[in-house]
Amino acid sequence: MPLVDLGAAIALGLRYFTIIYLTGLGGLFSERSGIVNIGLEGMMIVGTVMGAWGTVTYGPVAGLVTGAVAGLLFSLVHALATVTFKVDHIVSGVVINLVAVGLARFLSQIFFGQATQSDPGIPDFATIDIPLLSSLPLGLGQAFKGMSPVVLVAFLITIPALFVLNRTRFGLRLRSAGENPEAAASLGVRVWPLRYAGVAISGALAGLAGGFLAIEINGLFREGQTQGLGFIALAALILGNWQPLRLMAGALLFGIAQAVPLRLNDAPVISLLPEEFIRMIPYVITIIAIAGFVGRVHPPAAAGRAYEGAAT
Amino acid sequence: MAETATGDHAERSGVPLIALHQVTKRFPGVVANDAVDLTLEKGEIHALIGENGAGKSTLMRVLYGLYPPDGGHIEVHGEKVKINSPRAALALGIGMVHQHFVLVDRFTVAENIILGAEGGPLVDLDRAVKHIEEQAQGYGFKVDARKRIDDLSVGEQQRVEILKALFRGVEVLILDEPTAVLTPAETKDLFENLRALKVDGKTIVFISHKLDEVLDIADRITVLRRGKIVGETTPSDTSKEKLAEMMVGREVLFRLEKPDVDSGKPLLQVEGLNLASKLHDVDLQVAAGEILGIAGVEGNGQRELAEVLIGLRSPDSGRITLDGKDITGRSVKQNRSLGCAFVPEDRHERGLVLNMSLWENSVLGRQSRAQYLGGWGVLAIKKIKELATRLIKEFDVRARSIGNEASTLSGGNQQKLILARELEDDPRLLIAQQPTRGLDVGAIEFVWKQILVQKEAGRAVLLISAELDEIYELSDRIVTIYEGRITGEYSPQDPPEKLGIGMTGGRGAEREAS
Amino acid sequence: MTGAFAFAALIGSVIVIAYGEDPIFVYRTVWAFGTSRPQDFAIVLENATPLIYSGLAVAVAFKAGLFNIGVEGQYIVGMAAAAGAAITMSGLPTALLLPLVIVAAMGGAMLWAAVPGVLKVKTGAHEVVTTIMMNGIAVSLVAWLILHPLRSGVTTTDLRTEDFPQSALVPNLATSLGIEDVIPDSIVHLTWLFPIALVVCVAVWFMMFRTRLGYEVRAVGSSPGSAEAGGVSIGGTQIKIFLISGALAGLVGLNHILGDTGYLGSNYETGLGFSGIAVAFLGRNHPAGIPLAALLFGMLLRGQDGLAILTELPIEILIILQGILILSVVVAYELVSRALARRRQAQLGRAAN
Repeated sequence: MPLVDLGAAIALGLRYFTIIYLTGLGGLFSERSGIVNIGLEGMMIVGTVMGAWGTVTYGPVAGLVTGAVAGLLFSLVHALATVTFKVDHIVSGVVINLVAVGLARFLSQIFFGQATQSDPGIPDFATIDIPLLSSLPLGLGQAFKGMSPVVLVAFLITIPALFVLNRTRFGLRLRSAGENPEAAASLGVRVWPLRYAGVAISGALAGLAGGFLAIEINGLFREGQTQGLGFIALAALILGNWQPLRLMAGALLFGIAQAVPLRLNDAPVISLLPEEFIRMIPYVITIIAIAGFVGRVHPPAAAGRAYEGAAT
Repeated sequence: MAETATGDHAERSGVPLIALHQVTKRFPGVVANDAVDLTLEKGEIHALIGENGAGKSTLMRVLYGLYPPDGGHIEVHGEKVKINSPRAALALGIGMVHQHFVLVDRFTVAENIILGAEGGPLVDLDRAVKHIEEQAQGYGFKVDARKRIDDLSVGEQQRVEILKALFRGVEVLILDEPTAVLTPAETKDLFENLRALKVDGKTIVFISHKLDEVLDIADRITVLRRGKIVGETTPSDTSKEKLAEMMVGREVLFRLEKPDVDSGKPLLQVEGLNLASKLHDVDLQVAAGEILGIAGVEGNGQRELAEVLIGLRSPDSGRITLDGKDITGRSVKQNRSLGCAFVPEDRHERGLVLNMSLWENSVLGRQSRAQYLGGWGVLAIKKIKELATRLIKEFDVRARSIGNEASTLSGGNQQKLILARELEDDPRLLIAQQPTRGLDVGAIEFVWKQILVQKEAGRAVLLISAELDEIYELSDRIVTIYEGRITGEYSPQDPPEKLGIGMTGGRGAEREAS
Repeated sequence: MTGAFAFAALIGSVIVIAYGEDPIFVYRTVWAFGTSRPQDFAIVLENATPLIYSGLAVAVAFKAGLFNIGVEGQYIVGMAAAAGAAITMSGLPTALLLPLVIVAAMGGAMLWAAVPGVLKVKTGAHEVVTTIMMNGIAVSLVAWLILHPLRSGVTTTDLRTEDFPQSALVPNLATSLGIEDVIPDSIVHLTWLFPIALVVCVAVWFMMFRTRLGYEVRAVGSSPGSAEAGGVSIGGTQIKIFLISGALAGLVGLNHILGDTGYLGSNYETGLGFSGIAVAFLGRNHPAGIPLAALLFGMLLRGQDGLAILTELPIEILIILQGILILSVVVAYELVSRALARRRQAQLGRAAN
């Protein structure tokens, strides 16, 4: 039934949204502090393997925590390279992604005895049904049944994120580090800790998202499971003009796009395409979105530029 | 708001507010400040003058804690202090407004002012706005603290910079070349504000190389040359010529020999040029053998005008004619081959490719010409190197080898290389945009002489400059530009105040009336 | 540079020791596995061949300031295009077919690179994101091609194309030189694509430093504003070099399908595009450094086999080492060039302002 599928598609789409949005939000903090973060994918990868291990060993919540911590620690490499050594941000990000794959294999070998995946069936979260919404007619209610609590967390985290960004000293200073670090430094603000913080937040959130991916969507760690989601998060961030609410909209779009090949292959029009072409849909949508909107976006003015100067 | 150390000790007679004793600052290869002694008193406006590179900015940066001194010490109220960061300087009540503003364009005035002094982990913008606007009013400034910086005029932005310092309770305010970006009317406003601050007991350090202004505003004047203090005086005891002599150490020519050339009919004609919000109905013409100076404060469309004329941008409407030929909308390449040359205002962003070698840079703009190419797009390296060697020799560019990267040249030599390259083809039209920015006196003289040589040779020169000295020195005719419009035509005989009116689009006149 | 290597070696040694193995033994094993017999070294060169092309592809784009992360997708499409050509024109003699197949590979990859290239120039879409998306699309596209239009007519459990005609294959180097008893062609698939890769390096150097296009590419990559003022079309130059990058990427998969397997299977060799990025950075994006970096990687790849046999170390160690090595090199380069710039500033006596 197409509408029941739609509900299921939305449900899965919300899970992908969670991954994309959380990662993108982390990327937002990093980039608004001035550090371009192409390495989100790599940080997510580290989160998948460590999250899987954490869950298998201690349970799903622990898994998310280990994923986040792992992502955070790993991101410090990017921070060190870009903030302290002033390596080109994109170069560092690309290298981070390369290293992450190897690191994940390495850790997987240690924890699971196999290089490229863990055993399936790691425990996941107890699900919840949203009241009211899960009784929506026409099968749409399906979208809100059996929802992972982490999805709700993703939505709710927007509130503290906006608060920190716009109403705290930390947020003001972080944003200044990404817009004009010279101005901040001239006022006695120390730029490098802010940028380290921005990158660390991105690492933690990407790692968390990776953990969530392994736990809730795939049920295991598997090499390549991130499938470019880290870059899609980046695209959502660009589309969202580096603002949390717009990022959310972009992440919803891309999240649903991810679900299309998995749940909507019987839908009209789409079912006419060969399976492999359906799988291309999320990527194509991302390209179209980013090519169509980029002209009107304004990245943080100092993002990507090394801050030269005494770190007073 | 920070508590200041200087505020309470009001009149301790005999002890200056701030004293620099034998302050020395070295950078690798040069002594920027050489055993400098300087005192600052409460409630005075103290001018610090000298050429580019004399050390005046460096000295104040030492005072502001941006650089640690290599020798000597600083006393505040007779007590020795160590200032090792701007935070420390601010705590002592010393604030600095830099020549290039350090404002976050996308933040509001309030956000910019409280950054670094938020007064707690949370930010209450409403309270901050109120506070700032009240304080500003107290000093006779008017400011809308909710406006974004990129919506403000340059003069208003400068006021924000000053408010930033005042917000932190400074008693000493250092201004580095504050009038470089202001119109004559805005300068007048600034001076009024400074005098009000002086009356309030603040000390102002006014770094400048504009001698007329210094004589107008300062109580005391200190002259620096090559890192050393060479004189201290007051406006009543000195004159512009004497100050200039002290600054440079020799008699400075204020009037270069300007050759008299009969200019004929217009070589370059611009009619009704429009570009988005940047240029509006621009008309002008330059004849062969004539130098037209376009005077205006930066940011009023000069850059866009130069880029449209040289072909980097297409105008929305209008016509550009070179010697009768319509060149509107033509590319840079085409215009160059028709005899246009361009000396950009930004050597690094529009002139040279810094990490390419000198010989590679010398052919930039000509690399598609047959004489520099072999077959199949291969570069004729030998010919290009010959070109480079010749250019360097003719224009006396100090470089050790043409294989060195362009970044190894000093600013003056870089400019010379660009000039040499652009003039190589005997262009008919030379567009020079802020051609002497950041150069020392020797290089400035060289560039000016070259421009006059072009005039003598019957070329047309369009000189775009924010330095009125330069405009007066070189131009046969002057026009002013303001907000993308040509606002007036003048001659070098007209006094600067007249130009000032044009540079502000006529608003200057209104203000005088009220 | 040596500092970076030393640092990476040091970290590597620490990890190795943590495993209870002897670092000296590990390094010696890696070295030995790559050099003890001619055939071992031949394998190293075989490994290096695609990496040279891949590194060159990444490097030429980087010179223009562009990041071609899409080499991975481009070479896959190139392989599919080559397969298509080889199968549909199987009647032609080698002298015609082989060049056609190679051109098809380069053309297919170039087309694949054209999409992000044009999007970047026309819309400003960031090429890092678009090329990675194209990689994803490429995987699906080639999977479909292998399973449907190009599918082998012979019933087999493998998912693959037909075998390519002999005339489409690149001759084994050892066989051509008559030394196949020393370097057996059943084990070592070192083909003429290797010496050709070296020739291509020279060609790329020449293009970059001796032609007008290379000049303009470097100017755009270094100082786009000055290049533009010098009459260079930034967008045009960017597209041209991105296409060249794509064409080079097309050569990456050829040794695999035309020198090794002789068909395109759904388990084709992956990762060569990403390794190319590492090789390019390690080789400082220079046509002289890239073959050396590729050689190093080839050696490490070969050494992995040795380690798997002779030690208890997980082979992933080498991947981590590679990663650390690249990071160290990149950081070291940055530190060095900044130190040089500082010294130069000092020499100019630029004090204040």
